[in-house]
Order: sequence, then C-alpha cells, then structure tokens
Amino acid sequence: MADKVGAVAVLGGGISGMQAALDLADSGLKVYLVDNKPAIGGVMAQLDKTFPTNDCAMCTMAPRLVEIGRHKDVEIITLSDIEKVEGEAGNFKVILNKKPRYINEEKCTGCGTCITNCPTRNKVQPIEKTKVELEPQFKDKVTEIIRINKGREGPLMAILQQINTTFNYLPENVLRYVSQEVGYPVSHILHIATFYSSFSIVPRGKHIINICMGTACYVKGSERLMERFSDVLEINENETTPDKLFTLKSVRCIGCCGLAPAAMIGDNVYGNLSTKDIPGIIEKYKTIV
Amino acid sequence: MAVRRIELMLCTGTGCVAGGAFRIYETLEKEIQKQGLEKEISVIITGCNGFCGQGPLMVVQPDEIFYGFLTPEDIPFLVQEHLLKGRPVKKLMFTPPEKKEPVPLLSEIPFFKKQMLVVLRNKGIIDPEKIDDYIARDGYTALEKVLSSMTPDDVIDEITRSGLRGRGGGGFPTGTKWKICRTEQKTPKYIICNCDEGDPGAYMDRSVFETDPHTVIEGMIIGAYAIGASHAYIYARTEYPLAIKRMDLAISHARDYGLLGKNILGTGFSFNLEIREGSGAFVCGEETSLIHSIEGKGPEPRQRPPFPAQLGIWDCPTVINNVETWANVPVIINRGADWFSKLGTETSKGTKIFSLVGKINNTGLIEVPMGITLREIVYDIGGGIPYDKKFKAVQTGGPSGGCMPDSMIDVPIDYESLTEAGSMMGSGGMIVMDEDICMVDVAKFFIQFTNDESCGKCTTCRDGSEALYEILTNITNGDGKEGDLEFLDEVGNAVKDASMCGLGTTLPNPVLSTLKYFRDEYEAHIKEKRCPALVCKNLIKYYILPEKCTGCKLCLKNCPPDAIKGELKHVHIIDQSKCTKCGTCLDVCPPKVSAIIKVTGKEMENITGIEEPYPVKRRKK
Repeated sequence: MADKVGAVAVLGGGISGMQAALDLADSGLKVYLVDNKPAIGGVMAQLDKTFPTNDCAMCTMAPRLVEIGRHKDVEIITLSDIEKVEGEAGNFKVILNKKPRYINEEKCTGCGTCITNCPTRNKVQPIEKTKVELEPQFKDKVTEIIRINKGREGPLMAILQQINTTFNYLPENVLRYVSQEVGYPVSHILHIATFYSSFSIVPRGKHIINICMGTACYVKGSERLMERFSDVLEINENETTPDKLFTLKSVRCIGCCGLAPAAMIGDNVYGNLSTKDIPGIIEKYKTIV
Repeated sequence: MAVRRIELMLCTGTGCVAGGAFRIYETLEKEIQKQGLEKEISVIITGCNGFCGQGPLMVVQPDEIFYGFLTPEDIPFLVQEHLLKGRPVKKLMFTPPEKKEPVPLLSEIPFFKKQMLVVLRNKGIIDPEKIDDYIARDGYTALEKVLSSMTPDDVIDEITRSGLRGRGGGGFPTGTKWKICRTEQKTPKYIICNCDEGDPGAYMDRSVFETDPHTVIEGMIIGAYAIGASHAYIYARTEYPLAIKRMDLAISHARDYGLLGKNILGTGFSFNLEIREGSGAFVCGEETSLIHSIEGKGPEPRQRPPFPAQLGIWDCPTVINNVETWANVPVIINRGADWFSKLGTETSKGTKIFSLVGKINNTGLIEVPMGITLREIVYDIGGGIPYDKKFKAVQTGGPSGGCMPDSMIDVPIDYESLTEAGSMMGSGGMIVMDEDICMVDVAKFFIQFTNDESCGKCTTCRDGSEALYEILTNITNGDGKEGDLEFLDEVGNAVKDASMCGLGTTLPNPVLSTLKYFRDEYEAHIKEKRCPALVCKNLIKYYILPEKCTGCKLCLKNCPPDAIKGELKHVHIIDQSKCTKCGTCLDVCPPKVSAIIKVTGKEMENITGIEEPYPVKRRKK
C-alpha cells in the first residue's frame, strides 16, 4: 500500500457512502466522509426493512456505522455543504461550508438530555387552513358527485372518475375541495390523479382522440396514424388544439384487435384506419359543434 | 317468446359495432318490415361472434349461413334473396383467400371448425342483454345444483379435481386458491372478478362480458358460496364501455330474478355484486394493485405473501380470479370435473380463449383445447399469413410474454410449454408476426410500454426498463455498439430477479426471448446498420424504381412533407433530405405499379435523391 498517496472525499454519508468510505480507507487511503445532515446514516437509518428482500435495515448498517466511527483513516465531517469543487481527476480541491451546531462537539457525549428537555420540541404547530370554495361552473355537479359517492366504501376512485368524465379533466381547485369534503389529503388525491392515464389535470379538448397502441395495432402501423393525426392537427401527443376541440392521446389497446389499426374518438371506434382517412375524419368532427 | 321461421344473429361486439353493426340492424328491421316479414323473422343482437376480421357479420339460423363484411347497402338485396326467396347470397359469404368458392355454413368454415366452445358456448346464440336467453341455455342450473345439493367443500373439491387453473396468465390452481380462502378464519370474505385486461392484443375478457355476462355472474355466485363470501367486485377497464354496460344490465336482471341479493333461490344464501371501473393503468391487472385501486389507495402492488386469499381487500380474505376462470366454473359444475379434466394436456386442463390478431388472414377470438399446436392455430384456424408472406413468430402473453419462432410451431400449447419457451400464457393474446416485422422494434415497443406503465416502486423495474429502452432505441437508430446485447441480457436478468410484482419479473421477457431466437436480427442492426425487416426508420430509405414509375403524381400529391419531386409522366424522385419515412407513398402507389421500395444497409449508400425528374420511357409491350 506504500504507493497510495492523497485523500478521497466521499460526499454523502448514506449506506453507499459509508461502504465506499470503508472500502477506500481499507485500501489505505485517507477518507473524508461528508454529509449535510447532523449525522451520517442517510435514509436507510430511517427504515425498518429494506426492499425487496425484507432484510432488517439496522442490521445491515450498524456494523458499518461502528466501523466508520473507529476507523483511523476516516474523518467524518457532518452538517457541511459543498461550496466548490475545483481541479481535475487525481487532484481535486473541495471547499466545504460547515454550518454551526450551537453545541461544543468536543465536550458533547451524545447523552440526549438536551433533546428531551427542549420545551418547544413536541409542540404541535398547526398550519392555518383556508376553506376551499368552488367556482360556480363546478359547484352543483361536484357537490352532487360527492353526495352520491361519499357513503360508499373506497369512494375516491369513483368521485375522480365522475369528475373527470364530467369536465374532461380534474381541476385543481375541485381536487382541493374533494380533499376537504371527503377527507383524503391533497397529496394522496394527486397521487391517484396522476397515476392513471385516463385522468388529466390539465384541461382537454372536446373530442379526445385515442390512438390504440396495442400490439396488434402497432404491428399494423398505428405509429404512423399518430404521426398523421399529429401533422393534421398540428399538435403533439398529449396536447390540445388551441381551439380546444381535439386532444391527441395514445391508449393501451381498446380491444378492437380485429380492426387494427384502430382509434377511438369519444366513444366511437374507427377500425382499419389508413393515414389517408385522417383528414376526412377530423373535418367531420370539426363540423359537429 | 314467439317462434320465428328465421332468426338473424347479428354480432354486436365492439369490433362489429365500430364497423356499423347498429346501422345494419336498423336497415334490416326496416327491410323486414317493408317485406312484411316481421312475424316470421326476427333480428337478434348477440355478443361477439369471434370472427372479428369479417365484421360486421351475421349468422342466419337455422340455416347456419354466415355472412360477413356487411354494409347497409347489401341489406335490401339480402333480405329479398335469402329471406324472401330462400336463395342464400354467395357474394356475402366467407371465401377463404386461396379458394374461389365461398363456404356457406358456419360450421364448415375452418376458423370455427377446430374450435371447442366451453366458455364461449353461448356466443352468437343468445342476446347478452336478455337473462331469459341465458336461462334457456341451461343458465343458472349450475347455481341451483350447487345451492340445493352441494356443500361448499364439495364445490371446492369439484373445482380442484377439474384441474382448472387461473386464466389470467399465472396459472395458479383455482381450487387451491379457494381452499386457502375458505380456511381463513377472518370474515367477511370477498371475491373479485379481474377484468382489467391490460395486455395489448388481448380482448377475450371484454368479449365474454359482451357476449355472455351471466356466465361470469353465475361463476362468481358459486365461488362466493364455496368460500363463504357475501360481497363481490367486478373490476373492469374503463376503456370497455359496452362491456360495462352489458354487465351492469345483467347484474340488475339477475337481481330482479332473485339470483343476487338476499336469500338467493330461497336457500338463505345472500350475495351482492358491484362494478368498479379502472382508469387506465396497466399495473392494476396485478391482484394486489387492483385491490389497492378499488380501495382508493395508490395502486402500487405490495409484497406477497400474505396472498390476497389470506389478506385482501379491506384486509379481509379475498379470492380474485380472471373473467375466463369465473366463466369456466358453471360448466365444470354442470358437466363434472371428470369431463373437464379430460380436455387439454397433463398439466393444463380445459380450453383457452386466444385472440388471434396481427398479420393473419382470419383475425378474431378463438377458443381451443389446451395442447393444440401453433401450426393448427395459425394455418388451420387462422388461415395463414396474408399476401403469402413468411410466418416469423407468434407473440403471446402481451408485454410480459415472449415470441415463439417458427421452429416452435409444432409445440403443444399449455402453461408449461410457453414458460419453457421464454414466454407465458398471459391473458391469451396471440399476435402473429410476418417477415415485415422487426423483432428489435417489437422488443422496443414492449419495453416502452412497460417502462411507461411501471408504477415506479421497484428500482429495478423503473430504471431497468429505462436502461433497456435506451439501448434498444440506440440499436434501432443505428447507434448500437459491440457489447449492447450482453448488456441487455445482464440487465434483463437483473430486472427479472429483483422486481417484486408480475409486471417487473416478466417485463424483460420480450427482450430476452427475441435475443434468444432472433439474435441475428439484433446483430444486423448493430454490425451492418441494416434492418432486415425494413422497419427501423433510421436504417431505411424509400426509393422509387425508375423503370417502374409511371409518373402518375399520386405519391407526390400525398406526400406529407412534400419530399417527392416530379411532374406528370416523369419519373418521380424522393428528396432524401426531406423524407420523413412516413410510408404514405408506399401506401398510395397502385399495386399494379408498385414502384416504391424500401432499402436498407449497404444499398442505401447510392440513394441520394439529388437527381432531377426525367420523362418516363415508353415501355415495350
């Protein structure tokens, strides 16, 4: 190991940073382990089990924590941000900004008494909530949808589906209102609203054009249909025309594989489509007002 | 019900409806009235007939004559000739592509001949919107038998002995699943029918709902009795409006007849059913994810065990089966486990519905006994590949499955043989591919699909699919490099090993199986920058053969980016710098002329498109 010179900075003291620091230090290099949190350990320290093997998280990381703490070649620098990195591979200069800890680290034994005695630590600090009011164009329909579904088991999906079909999208304020009335957190509602492909959180056109991208349609050229629609409407996939008439989308198989390639506009299915037919179809829908 | 001389069985599956089946219905009614035949002839709206490639279609009973590709204009003639004068109309019958003479009888058509109808026994025979039609075909007799003469354990025993396995793709023995749930102490228990048919290229579940919804309901009531459940959910895709409508109607009819609700058939057994709709997420077909979706939670799958049969919806024991599995149950009860277990192979019993689609002459839905060979399906039932192209592979199991090459065409199909081939049964989509399909492109298509649909919970599935997609995109763009194939193999296997739910563990299958059977195609893309199937846009050019071009200006007028130069009676030339390779020119060039070809690899080098149009030389006759 005599030929090893210099030192290494490992940025981030999570499980991978710790392992890297240990491997480096064991091979004979000086290691600075830097983290911006007050302590090393990272996310894994907050977990009970790790995915997907369900191994105990603490059992994996505790030996490494101990070893890092007593390794002669590892220096832990916590509560520090990186200000600047200069130089090139082989010769870096790292400037750190160490934040104050308001505690004399030299003297602290880590007994924890200060935490338990801190008077403001466990106080609940509520955030002021304002009541959500619905815009007049949504009010009647949304309150009705909520009224019908509120008593059911697992009402959220049905509520969102009905709002989505009524307004063609899920307006943000309506989602906040649903959260207030039905009791799900907004974050949860947004999780659902953005997960499913038939929901949209931006306004969509009057006619939604769904190009089937199932395998049967794909092998018969549905990608070319999409390109042609996109050319004719002058929008890309998932966009809406400026006149708010058409939204172009792809859909995962509408189950009309015998008619491939197929597209669905509103509830109507068009089968055996050719790129030639597309301008005509669009014109037809433009005349329906 | 009045007896009629002739009944017209008009197919109104989604496919035929899209083709205008209801317009045909109106014209038929009008014509029949015009001829004064309304007392003799009735038009019956049936569910999907299966032969979707011929739609809109109709079968005249009792003559059993099959008419396809109907248009409202044909109807007056048809009514006059066949219904009034008794002369079947030849030109509307089915004619196999290689033959001249039409095949008039439904049972004689090769597409129907080799099929064996168990689940779809009522297709094309009953009106799915009438419960009486179903009852007339022995409907709800299995339920009556179960409630009056069998204990729940008898039912489970019968299903176990029949060897029925989950038809959603996994192939878990149904009887065992029911037994696990029955032995659980916790109540209430639930059952769920999984109709979240996400596999692209498969539509049998939708078809069963549209054709014979009551058989699913009956199967579910029997299942509920067997495990001791009193409430059930049907989870259906929102993309299937017609299926949901018919199922909804069927449920309300069954309720009116006392087959659902409290005290069914006076036996004290109560059972309720409700439909829940999905909203377009492929992962919701996975059982734990589906349960989360109904509950209104984030629809990510969870670790199993505990299996839903132990801990399912609302944390109660739940049996969740596919539509086709439920639809098999009444038949097994009625005809017995011994009869059912005689069908199929050693390990896979009964029949399976496949949707036979893609590059095949007879597209449609088929029900065949397990153990049938691909050859029988593709050539006997499917009628071979259109335009005499070469058969290349069959893709089964959707994005989780793989490709079976022509070397495996004689392998009997069951759960095990498909898994061994690197594919899986899946829900039963069977996409036939001919020589014009690039396997690398297909693999890319599936990976893009799963990459999009991955819920993001497992790193391997979320990022692994991204990595696979990136490499495949490079290869199809002509930027593939040495070592890419080994990388695909390594990442593919890692994703397979380290993901949690079925989506992740099977998503590399399309890549791994095409790598196994079509490695030469991958290598042609990487080493020679050549796409043998002429699909990958960056590796092909369109070219107008000067000796064939007649200078008709058709391609020039239709070219979206105006990349074709030429004038009347002058050989047209494609400006390669403008060409977007959309292929419109190839579509519009008349088949007699067929002057446009695609080239790839070395041949592309000489095609620049900088020449100017010149007059067409008159050809010697």
